This record gives sequence, structure tokens and C-alpha cells, in this order.
Amino acid sequence: MSKRIVVDPVTRIEGHLRVEADIENGKIVDAYSSGTMVRLLEEILRGRDPRDAWAFVGRVCGVCTSTHSLTSVRCVEDALGIEVPPNAELVRNLMHCVLYMHDHVVHFYHLHAMDWVDVVAALKADPKKTSELAQSISKWPKSSPGYFADIQTRIQKFVESGQLGIFANGYWGHPAYKLPAEVNLIGLAHYLEALDWQKEIVKVQAIFGGKNPHPNYLVGGMACSINLDDVSGINAERLAYIHQLLKQGKEFINQVYIPDLMAIASFYKDWGAIGGGLGNYLVYGDLPTKGYRDTASYKFPSGAILNKDISKVYEVDLRKEDEVQEFITNSWYDYEGEGGKAKGLHPWKGESKINYTGPKPPFEHLDTSKEYSYLKTPRWKGNAMEVGPLARVLVGYAKGVEEYKAIVDKTLKDLDVPVAALFSTLGRTAARGLEAVLAADWALEFYDSLIANIKAGDTRMAEMSKFDPATWPKEALGVGHAEAPRGALAHWINIKDEKIANYQLVVPTTWNASPRDAKGQMSAYEAALIDTPVHDETQPLEIIRTIHSFDPCMACSVH
Amino acid sequence: MDNEMLEVKKQPTYYEEVIRKGYDRRDFMKFASMMAAFIGLEKSAIGQVAKAMETKSRIPIIWLHFQECTCCSESFIRSSHPMVADILLDMVSLDYTETLMAASGAQAEKSLKDTMKKYKGEYILCVEGSVPVAADGVYCMIGGKTSMHILEESAADAKAIIAWGSCASNGCVQSAKPNPTQATPIHKLIKGKPIIKVPGCPPIGEVMAGVIVHLLTFGTIPELDRVGRPKAFYSKRVHDSCYRRPYFDAGLFVETFDDENAKKGYCLYKVGCKGPSTYNACGVMKWNGGVSFPIQSGHGCIGCSEENFWDNGRLYDRASAFAGFGIESDADTIGKVALGATLVAVAGHAVATNIGKQKSIHDLETEGKASEHELPS
Amino acid sequence: MDNKYLRLPRLRRVYVWELPVRFYHWLNAGVILALIATGFYINNPLALMSQKEATQVYTMGWVRYVHFAAAYLFFFNFLFRIYWGFAGNKYANWKQFIPTSKRFFAEMWNVFKIDILMLKKDGKEQHHISIGHNAMAGFIYFLTFIAFAIQCLTGFGLYADMGGWWFPRMFAWVPSMFGGDMLTRDIHHWTMWFFILFAVVHVYLVFYHDYVEGRGEISSMGGGWKFIEEEVFEEKKYHTPNPRKKH
Ligand code: HEM
Ligand code: HEM
Ligand code: NFV
Ligand code: SF4
Ligand code: SF4
Ligand code: F3S
Ligand SMILES: [Mg+2]
Repeated sequence: MSKRIVVDPVTRIEGHLRVEADIENGKIVDAYSSGTMVRLLEEILRGRDPRDAWAFVGRVCGVCTSTHSLTSVRCVEDALGIEVPPNAELVRNLMHCVLYMHDHVVHFYHLHAMDWVDVVAALKADPKKTSELAQSISKWPKSSPGYFADIQTRIQKFVESGQLGIFANGYWGHPAYKLPAEVNLIGLAHYLEALDWQKEIVKVQAIFGGKNPHPNYLVGGMACSINLDDVSGINAERLAYIHQLLKQGKEFINQVYIPDLMAIASFYKDWGAIGGGLGNYLVYGDLPTKGYRDTASYKFPSGAILNKDISKVYEVDLRKEDEVQEFITNSWYDYEGEGGKAKGLHPWKGESKINYTGPKPPFEHLDTSKEYSYLKTPRWKGNAMEVGPLARVLVGYAKGVEEYKAIVDKTLKDLDVPVAALFSTLGRTAARGLEAVLAADWALEFYDSLIANIKAGDTRMAEMSKFDPATWPKEALGVGHAEAPRGALAHWINIKDEKIANYQLVVPTTWNASPRDAKGQMSAYEAALIDTPVHDETQPLEIIRTIHSFDPCMACSVH
Repeated sequence: MDNEMLEVKKQPTYYEEVIRKGYDRRDFMKFASMMAAFIGLEKSAIGQVAKAMETKSRIPIIWLHFQECTCCSESFIRSSHPMVADILLDMVSLDYTETLMAASGAQAEKSLKDTMKKYKGEYILCVEGSVPVAADGVYCMIGGKTSMHILEESAADAKAIIAWGSCASNGCVQSAKPNPTQATPIHKLIKGKPIIKVPGCPPIGEVMAGVIVHLLTFGTIPELDRVGRPKAFYSKRVHDSCYRRPYFDAGLFVETFDDENAKKGYCLYKVGCKGPSTYNACGVMKWNGGVSFPIQSGHGCIGCSEENFWDNGRLYDRASAFAGFGIESDADTIGKVALGATLVAVAGHAVATNIGKQKSIHDLETEGKASEHELPS
Repeated sequence: MDNKYLRLPRLRRVYVWELPVRFYHWLNAGVILALIATGFYINNPLALMSQKEATQVYTMGWVRYVHFAAAYLFFFNFLFRIYWGFAGNKYANWKQFIPTSKRFFAEMWNVFKIDILMLKKDGKEQHHISIGHNAMAGFIYFLTFIAFAIQCLTGFGLYADMGGWWFPRMFAWVPSMFGGDMLTRDIHHWTMWFFILFAVVHVYLVFYHDYVEGRGEISSMGGGWKFIEEEVFEEKKYHTPNPRKKH
């Protein structure tokens, strides 16, 4: 007999996620993932100015902030046939890389680490040994015994105060925690350091976009003009500031994040065989180096992998009616017209008509035999797909891109695990780290290209010739895509009479966290939970490990 | 493992914390005066700040998340003075926040209940996000309960409420027309509790931290303006502290993005800047540790701290569009049409007068001519 | 010939618009035109290019200065007119504007039939001869006064945080009532269109009355005099209700 357990709220994620899982003999045999908050921004966008859409959809999420705005301006530019100047592309790439650096680090330390790091056990660490260990894995300067001792006393006092704050009621002491005390202390120290670090790296976004979270974008380019001879523009001081931030950002990723990741991973290799799930991976591609239209120039190559078969990568076309479709069989929505709930819709024809049919709150359980989530269920050619860092790394690796091959092979070798270990909870978490390394390198590349371009005399930042609605066609369709930190993201727009007639977002977490489809196929979260061991039914530590490895963003997923 | 072991009764004060961290009394006073200056106090209040920090324990905070995007939490962790690690470890006890807390599910709910019970009437309730009231609240549920339910429960024994961001204080983007979920700001649902609105999408990190610092140092709510925002940060319009203001006064404007004027940093009024109608501290405090703010990076203010800013006209226009009249129909388009119609009506009336009142006009002319004849030339 | 005008009626001169009303009228007309012109400019200024220091150019500053100066004149002039509604002659009295009596409505309806619909009675043209305003005009001015009030409230509401004086600060509650400066500003802007439309129709009607009645309507706002047929005094037919007299 299986037992149904509920984890709600799932914390250390963005938004409102509920997981119900059936456990039998200490293992999950069935799982349901439900998004329980909806805002209906797609409805709110109807009738508005397409040029304003980036600001609205930007507010879909403040964690992967800027991603939706970027996707939106690309989407509108696609519809209106606008090609942005190279500088704007570079600035967008730079901001996007910075988002990766920020989001991945924050995820690792502040959202994921406490699944692996036992904060309370860190109090038992020997600062001297901790220091030795830290110095053996990284040349990061802040690793003296005194430094670790200070952190330890600070936490000791904190714990003794009896007010445990965010650490209260954690799963401390759970047998699934396997790190030596010293590694726990390093993790804890870097939790605090990363908190300090993250507010620095986003300054790059603030310089170009005015603020973070929610920096400003612009259809046609970027609003931050370049003027080397004026204090108001992007000038030498601003550029130098950015360079400095990027270098510091990279240093932290290489000297803190990656060594920590590798150290922690080496104690949890068993998680290289847990949480694999679907084995289907989807990537739209991003970070153009020769213009957004030239998909071959992307740093993140696009493609799909099915059934863990990395010998073959399929092409993806977001415009084709039968590739990306959204289903609502188990979602709290209705579709109008023929076919009703049973059909799948390509986002250009997408609808977002809400219809809650779940239990009346307060409730104990969802009725998972029918609709059970505010997420729709996206499918690629009918297949459930996993998106995210792992998908990107696998597609890059499968396509034989040198940068990916080098970094993936090295990591597998360092950890002494086979390629198959990538298809797992651990693989997801590791892939995120590798990506952060790549993003930090690429950011500096983009920076150099920006400098070179300005040097060559090109200071254009926005293409405004088609900004005036009077220049637009009466009707236009557009699609814009990006690789958000959590995976493949695209927006579809129908413009009619200068207004948004329809705007649909299909979001990474929608791919991963959606309810099952009409054929009963699970999406990535549910599939990954199957067979996950659960030591103590009252403590969902293993469940949140796997769920966290996806870095859920529910505000994104439902929007 | 049992957490009870960790529940030690003694609660250190800020002063003890600071001294323990290896600072001396002089450092502490410096920090206290910086805090005082930061929240805009006279010199005489420094002693008070220092005293408060020497004697108070960490304020318990419950931070709820409803219909939101978590950008307020993100902004909060961007604060550089005080830094968030220090706020979390030394100033407050953030007992519940779905974004950062270690515990999930039942354990998370326990944290919430524990604090509500143990610190009844003492905890600060922070709310990020709006509450959907349509369909009996089912558009936002946590742990099988509606956000409406959770808000009411946890507001009942709160000492004060902070409504973070435009979502909690104004409804923000999800309440933009047609507000399909009836997203509602906190002050419309909770009555009889002090509510501090800290609008902005998101608010500046240091503003959020500043509000908390004020609360814990003085144990009082900062002075609020007419609509409930702390005066310290919301009494001036972005326009009044904007460094591009001389260009505004001079009439030197950017006409389109990235034009010559944009490169010179002229005023962004004509490309839709809402700075003249937006109350926020951006021009003075700036963002992300003072690096920039929207206008400094070339984009107009979109008015993100104002009520209803999503429906106050389009981003790149100064005037509001009329719903239902098509996107280009701002007041002036309608005005021009009305003016045209009026002129046509007036002309029509003039013609009709000459026909309809032919007789009396004729009479007047005849009379005039008769008089003319009678007068000698 | 049965042309009544050929009987060459004796016209009597009536002092309708006292000097304060005339003064008020022209000052009002002047500042409103200035407020409209500067208001348009504030809404959508030219994008100047200048090699001068920003501090040496003050275009927008001046335009706004004129707007605010005119606004003060406008406001106090308006206050004065309200006062004169109690102190002035019967043609200036507040009862001329506010529809209180049945008579008022009857007259409005009458004016509507004659001046707008141009209805005839027994195949004959009809005349409505009023001495001060007719009831319809009075009512329109009443609406105008409401628009004045809206404009002053929203205008000073927006101005409240700009000026240092206590007077505009008294209006600081206005924007918060409307949910912010932006909507207040929009209302201020929309109300401007009422003035533009009013001015067009008003000037036309003044000319119209001058033309169809031949009693010097246009010049009346100059010298104050209107010329009224003796028989009007005799018939006392459609004369404006006399506020000093109980009807
Ligand atoms: C007939 C009377 C008035 C008209 C037609 C008028 C018209 C206008 C218009 C069209 C605007 C531009 C609004 C926009 O941006 O769309 C404006 C702005 C303004 N008006 Fe008036 N206005 C009048 C009376 C007043 C009064 C009595 C005041 C009182 C002080 C006032 C104060 C303002 C202020 C403060 C602004 C905003 C200026 C700025 O922020 O730069 N106005 N007015
Ligand atoms: C060629 C320009 C104008 C002429 C000849 C003129 C003439 C007159 C006359 C004769 C009256 C009294 C007639 C009646 O009650 O129907 C009057 C009243 C009035 N006019 Fe004008 N007008 C002119 C322009 C304006 C303008 C531009 C405005 C303002 C927008 C204006 C506002 C008013 C108002 C408010 C009254 C009511 C006066 C009162 O308080 O009793 N006028 N005008
Ligand atoms: N899922 C998702 Fe996002 C991301 N990354 C975006 O598209 O987090 Ni808020
Ligand atoms: S106010 Fe804005 S930034 Fe804050 S949660 Fe709401 S949408 Fe996000
Ligand atoms: S840029 Fe905006 S806030 Fe700054 S002066 Fe111009 S209108 Fe005002
Ligand atoms: S858009 Fe918001 S961030 Fe400041 S400058 Fe305007 S209030
Ligand atoms: Mg969608």
C-alpha cells in the first residue's frame, strides 16, 4: 500500500509549488506537481501596445528578471522585422550572461545548498581543518582559520539566541546529509559570501538597464546610448566598471562556486543515479554572436534529444504548428471551440481561459485524477521534454561543441563518474555550475567585442526606424526565444491594428513542472521523482533535493 | 534531529552582537549615527538609535508571498547598507519566508505557527504580492489554504504590516485591466492594523532595509504620507531630484531613443518619462548601491511606484490612452475629433440660421436700411 | 407692410455687464487662452537642440512659469467672480447660473427649441429675447465654472509639491484621491478640451446673437451696454428672472 504525502509549500524556490507523492517501501512510486498561483498576464496583455509588453512580462518573474523582457523585445522585433544594432545585441548578451552568473550562484547557495549542507553540523567543524580543506580546493583568499572561526562563532551565537530565523525547523541531522563538518562550514561561509557577492554582479544590469531587479529593455535595441564624450552615456568609466564586475564575478564562480560544487558533489555521487526522469531534452538556443537570426552563431546551440540518446540531436522550429503545443487536460483552464479541452494549441492560437475545478480550500489533498494545476502542459511533437542547464549542456555536448566537450569531460573525470550520471539530480546541479563558468567567460568575450565595435566607430544602440506604430503592418506574427536560466523560453505574439491581439508565453518551468498530458505522460518534475528514496515520510528532504535541482520558478510557469 | 536543543533563551542585543563581532564602542556609535543619518534623523536622535540597538532583541518577521514575482525579495537581498547577511543574522529573525527558509511543507507551516504563537502581537508581518479575491481566493493557494485566509490569520496578531512593493501596496501588474483574478492590495483587506506601504516594482533594496531598520531601532512606524508610504523615501517625485532636470527646464528633450539628444543625456520627458508624476527615491538614492537608476541608463521612469501605473498610459507616451478607443486614442485625438465635430456643427448651424431665420434677418436688414435712408448723408 | 421693425422700435440702453464683470471676462478669456497654449506645450514640448548650456536656456521653465502665473490669475479671478455673483447686479447674480426654478428649465427648453432646433410656431419664427444671459447660456457657464473648479483642484494638486507656499500645499490631497499624479494630470488635460470646445461654441454664439438679434451683443462685453426694445419692457415676456424679486 502506498502512502500519499504532501509538500506544500515547497520552499527555497520562486513561487507556489505543491508536490503530492505516493510512497511505497521507502520509494516514490507516483508524483504530482501542482502550481497553485495564477495572475493571467496573458489576458492582461491583450489590447496593449506591443512595445510595452517587455515591461509587463518582465514582471512575470523577479528571479530570472530580464529574461522575459529580453524574450519579449525579440518577439516584437521578430513580428515587426526589426534588426537591432550589434551593440544592442552585445549589451543584451552581457546582461543575459550576468543573469546566468547571478541566478545560478543564488540558486546553488541560497536555494539548493541547504539540501546538501547541514548548517547545524557546521558548528562542529574545526576551523583550522576547514581552512586547510578550503585552501586545498581553491585559491580563494578568504579561507584562513580565523575567517572560518568567526563565521562559526557568529552562527553559534545566532543559534544560541533561540531565534533560528530562516534555519528554523530545517532537516538538520537527517541521515541523508553526508558532508563532513568542515565542508558544511565552507558551504555555510560561502552562503553568506554569496549573499554579498550577488548584489555586486547585478550592477552590470543596472548600468545598462537602470536597475535590477527588472532592468529596462527597448524594442529596437537598448535605451542606454553610447557616448564616450559624455557623462550621461555608456563611456569609459561605465565600461571599466562593467569589466571590473565581470572579472570579480568570474573569480567567485571559478574559485568559490565550482570548488564548492565539486566538493559537495563528490560526497553525493549516489545522486548521480537518482532523479533522472524523462531523458528528453529541449533547447531553443541563445547568445547570438552574429545576430539573433543567425542561429548557427549561438553560444547555446539549439536542439532536442530524445530518450537520452545523445548521438542524435533534432532540429526545433517554434513556428511550426505541430512542434510546440500546449495541452490543458489536467490544468485548470478551458479551450474554446472545436476540440475543447482535448486539443493542443500552438501558442499563436493559444488561449488562457481560467476554470478552477479543484477542491474548495482549505483542503488536504488535490484530486489528481482530474485537473490539478494552473500550469498548462507544453509538448514538443507530443513529447514531454526537460529544459534547463542540463538540457543545454547535453545538447552542446551532443553537438560536439568544443567548449562543452572540454568542460563536461573534465568534470566527469574529476568526479570519476560516467556520462550517464549526467541524467540525474546531481547532473542537473552540476550542469548549472558548468554553465555559470561558460557564462562568465562569454560575458568577458562579449565585453571585448563591445569594446572592439565601439573602437571601430559603431556607437549605435537602437534601431528606431520602425518604432512608430504607423510604420507597422496591419497584422503581424512574431516569436521570440531565449535560454532562460531555467531553460527554453519563448513568447509568441499576434499584432493587429497596432495592438496585441494575443500574447502567449511558454516558460521553462511550465515544461518541467506541468501536470501530465492526455496520454498520461508525466512532465519532468513528476518523472524525476519516481524512484526517489524517501528515508522519513515526515521529512521531504529527498523530494526537495530533486525538485530543487530544477530550480523551480512557479511565477514564471503560470504567469 | 530535534531543534528543541537549539532553543536557548538568552537573546543578545545588537550592541552585544557588534562587540562580539570585534568592533568597539566607537565603531558601534559610528554605525548608530550612520543608521540615524540614513533614516533622516537629527543628531539628537543618535543616542536613541544606539540605545535601541543596545537593548532590543531581534524582531521576528513573517514574510508572506502571494501573487508576486519575488522581485521584492530579490531587491531586498540587494541592499548594501545594511547588508542582508547582517540584517538576517543580527537585526531581525526572519522566521518565515518561502524564498529563503530551510524548511518546506509541514515544517515550514510549523515555523509560521510557532512565531505567530510565541510572538503574538510582536511580530512584523511583511507581505509580498497581492491577494486574488475572485473565485473565493482559489487563484493563490498555499498549503491548501487561500492567500486571503492566510493573510487574515497572520495579520490578526501582527504588530504592524509592511506591504512590500507595488503588488502588496497597489496590486501591480496582475491588477492591471481587466484584473482577471481581482488582485487586491493588502490595505483593502486588512483594517485596523498599521500598514506601511513600500511601493515600487520592486522598491529599492536600501529603502526596504531602511524601513526595517527604522522599525527595529525605534519600535515605531516611520512617519507615513497621506497614502501610507514612509515620507523618508516617497515624498519627492523622481522628477524633482532627477539630474536631467536642467534639461527639462531648458526644454532640451530626447526625441527618439539613441538620437543625438539621447547621447547627450537630455531629458526623457518626450519619450514617455513618468518621473514628473512618480514619487520615489530613485533620483537621490539610485539603485544597486547607487550605480544607476532608470533615467541614468537612458530609459524613462515608468512610474513603477505609483498606484495603477500599468494603466496610466503607455510607456512611451505622456498621455493616457482611452480604453476602448483604440491604442492611438489619447485625449488629444478625441479632443481633435470633438473640435472638428464642433466646428462642423457651428458651420451647419450658421447655414441653418441664415435659412431658418431668414425672415428676422431680412427684417433686421430692412430696418437697418430704412434707418440708413432716414439719416442725412 | 407688417414688419414690426419697420415700426422702428425705440431701443433702450441697459447696463448689463458692469465693469468688474467685463474686466473679469477679458482677464479670464486671456488667461484661459494662455493656459491652453502653455498646457499644450507642457504636454508635448518641442525637442530643442541647443549648443548653449542648459542653464542658459529655460524654455520649458518659462512655459511652465507662464502656466503657473496664469493659473494664479485664473484662480483668483474666478474667486472674484464668485464673490461678484453675490455683490453684482442681477445679470451677474449666481441665480443666473444655477438651475433652481421650473422657470429656468422652461426657458432653457425654449432657447433650445428656438436657437438650436429653430422650431417655428404657426409657421412663424420665434424670438427669445433675454437681457442678461439666457437660461441656456447661464447653465453652460455653470458647467464652465465646474470645469474651472476641476482645473484649479487638479492644477493646484499637481502644483502642491512644487511650490513652497502653503496655499498650493493645501491641495496636496487631490492627487492621492485620484490614485496618483498621473491620473490627476490626465484629468487636468482632458478638462482642457472642455475649455477649447466651449470657447469655440461660445464665440460663435456671441456672434450669432449679435447677428440675429441686432442688439450689440458682441460690444456688450466691451462697454457693458445692451440695446433692448421698448416693447420688451412693456411685455415683460421672456425676461430673465429677477433674483431680487420673488416670482
Ligand atoms: C483653463 C485652465 C487650465 C488649462 C486649460 C490647463 C491646461 C494644462 C495642460 C494641458 C497641462 C499639461 C498636462 C499634460 O501633461 O498633459 C497642464 C499642466 C499643468 N497645469 Fe494646467 N491648466 C489650467 C489651469 C491650471 C491651474 C489653475 C493650475 C494651478 C496651479 C494648473 C497647474 C498645472 C500644473 C502644475 C501642470 C503640470 C505642469 C508640469 O508638471 O510640468 N493648471 N495644464
Ligand atoms: C471674441 C471673444 C469673446 C466675446 C466677444 C465674448 C463675449 C461675451 C459676452 C457678450 C458674454 C455675455 C453673453 C452671454 O451671457 O451669453 C460673455 C460671457 C462669458 N464669456 Fe465670453 N466672449 C469672448 C470670448 C470668451 C472666451 C475665450 C472665454 C473663455 C474661455 C469666455 C468666457 C465667458 C464666460 C465665462 C462668460 C460668462 C460671464 C459671466 O460670468 O457672466 N468668453 N462673453
Ligand atoms: N521558468 C522560469 Fe524563469 C527562468 N529561468 C523564465 O523564463 O524563472 Ni522566474
Ligand atoms: S511589486 Fe513588482 S517587483 Fe514586487 S513582486 Fe510585485 S511585480 Fe514583482
Ligand atoms: S528625465 Fe524624466 S524625471 Fe528627469 S527631468 Fe526629464 S521628465 Fe523629469
Ligand atoms: S520606474 Fe521605478 S525605479 Fe524609479 S525611476 Fe521610476 S520609480
Ligand atoms: Mg502561457
